[in-house]
Amino acid sequence: MTDALYQKFVKRWEEVMDLPPQTVGPLTPYYKKLVARLKVMPWPVLVIGSVVLVVGLYLLLGSAITILVSVLQRGF
Amino acid sequence: MGNHVLVSGLSFGRTVIGIATRPYETYRRIVSRGTMWELAYVGVLVSLYCYISRIRVAPVVLTYLVTVGLFWWIGLFAGAKGRLTGFLIAWGYTLVPTLVWFSTTSLLYVLIPPPRSTRPEGFLFSILYLLFSATLLFWKVILSYLALRFGLRLDLGKISLVSLIVLPILFLYSIALYRMGIFRIPFL
Repeated sequence: MTDALYQKFVKRWEEVMDLPPQTVGPLTPYYKKLVARLKVMPWPVLVIGSVVLVVGLYLLLGSAITILVSVLQRGF
Repeated sequence: MGNHVLVSGLSFGRTVIGIATRPYETYRRIVSRGTMWELAYVGVLVSLYCYISRIRVAPVVLTYLVTVGLFWWIGLFAGAKGRLTGFLIAWGYTLVPTLVWFSTTSLLYVLIPPPRSTRPEGFLFSILYLLFSATLLFWKVILSYLALRFGLRLDLGKISLVSLIVLPILFLYSIALYRMGIFRIPFL
């Protein structure tokens, strides 16, 4: 490994390890699994989360979600 | 000067793509290497939106400063060790999803004005609109978390604690602005 490449590696390593890794006790493995999906191209997870939320809202409010949308649209 | 503007413009464009595709890595870069010039581009976009939508810019800027100030000061009590400039830039980029949502909602307001009906078309639109809104909201939550994580160098527990203190204050602040008629949008 050349000196320049090694220096680049060290710099990158220091940058990555600048903050200590986040742990959440016994839930750490699950947290890491979820976060890994959010770090790069998080959109599939975000859309799945939104679908769950919207289905929940529909089950809770029924067709009254149209009122919620009208209120949001009139926020201006 | 011209070089700074051009380089920051390119950096801003790259960062906007980055916060959508690789938010974690991009936020680390924003906090460590971002410049205040990039914040100017966010300011220009916000001003442009306010001008088109006929909303006053001052309350938006005030809200941004109040939010950053609250998170910064309460974060310091929780042991934050970040750099204020880095946090200012990082929080500025959290306005990108907000801007996307407000612009789209404004456009939809003109194209398909409310109220929504319970007919199949109205219902389908409502579902799609809520999906879009919730996705952007989750994106904003992630960016806000990363701004606090890298900008203030806090861990998840402290971020939750600081948010639990700051969010009710911001909620009251929003209602106050709304009641005073200064700002018609109570949820920026």
